[in-house]
Amino acid sequence: MSTAIRYLVVDDFSTMRRIVKNLLQELGYQNIQEADDGKTAWPMLQAGSFDFVITDWNMPLMPGLDLLKAIRADDKLKSLPVLMVTAEAKREQIVEAVQAGVSGYVVKPFTAEILKQKLDKILQARAAATG
Amino acid sequence: MMDSQRNLERLRPLLDRLTAAVSAGDAPEFERVLDDLVHGRRKDLFAELRRLTARVRQALESFQLNARFSELAEKDVPDARQRLLHVMKLTDEAAHQTMDLIERATPLVSTLVSAAADPTAPSVVAAATKLRSHLSDVHLAQGYQDLTGQIVRGVIKLVDEVEATLAGLMRIAGEAAEDQTIAAPIAVNGYGPVVPGVNHGAALGNQQDVDALLSDLGL
Repeated sequence: MSTAIRYLVVDDFSTMRRIVKNLLQELGYQNIQEADDGKTAWPMLQAGSFDFVITDWNMPLMPGLDLLKAIRADDKLKSLPVLMVTAEAKREQIVEAVQAGVSGYVVKPFTAEILKQKLDKILQARAAATG
Repeated sequence: MMDSQRNLERLRPLLDRLTAAVSAGDAPEFERVLDDLVHGRRKDLFAELRRLTARVRQALESFQLNARFSELAEKDVPDARQRLLHVMKLTDEAAHQTMDLIERATPLVSTLVSAAADPTAPSVVAAATKLRSHLSDVHLAQGYQDLTGQIVRGVIKLVDEVEATLAGLMRIAGEAAEDQTIAAPIAVNGYGPVVPGVNHGAALGNQQDVDALLSDLGL
């Protein structure tokens, strides 16, 4: 069941999208799509059915924080897990992301183990919530 | 400090007259004194403005005289942006190429294991596990391109601001149109790698071109 999870990976750097995608594949997930900005991710989220969003913060058109806020403000999407993977590491930023409803926060550079831990934690919480 | 002290002393009689006019209920006198007060302030302001204008004009004139500024505005700063964009492109390509190779190398670990005399031997299994993990770490390490790219992007933004500011100053100094060609000195320390869009004169694109030139030169 868990390997069927549909991921959307949002980052303006193609290298980072590829790295995250590869790590997800190593963990056994196959259903992964990519977006190069919050702005391109938004219509994809509206149209498609994703189970999980992994997003960067610092993107030129629509930053990850705005994407997160838009997701939380949308009736259809508001309970979607959003994991932030970003180089933004200031305390206030992390606080802001948490207040905006982020599900997890990974600071770049990160290890495969850290990404896995965060994913597992969020997925477990989600499974518990949906019963 | 001394100036403001003197100003205060100068204002005192006017203020006394103002207070007196208020106590006496003398509205026309009040208006008159107030006008005097404002007029005095305005005179100071104009004098200060004149001084400031002269200084700005002087600064702009010396700025205009300095050919280095026009070179900076028209060539070096735009070149700097070009260089930084090129760094981003090169690191992007290198990171993707590295990941291509890792993705092609990883399945070969299984090929090697199955070709081993005993594929289940603990040493074979351990080596294969380690090798896969190292390859995976090299893949992950390509994230440097994202981190350095974000930093470079920040510097590009700064370059944009410097360029806009310089262009504005050049316009004011009224010499933007003047095309001064300054013979570029040959860089003692070299120019570094060729950056497309950054012209230091003809550069050779590849080893073949270099070899062709060497052969032309009799080498």
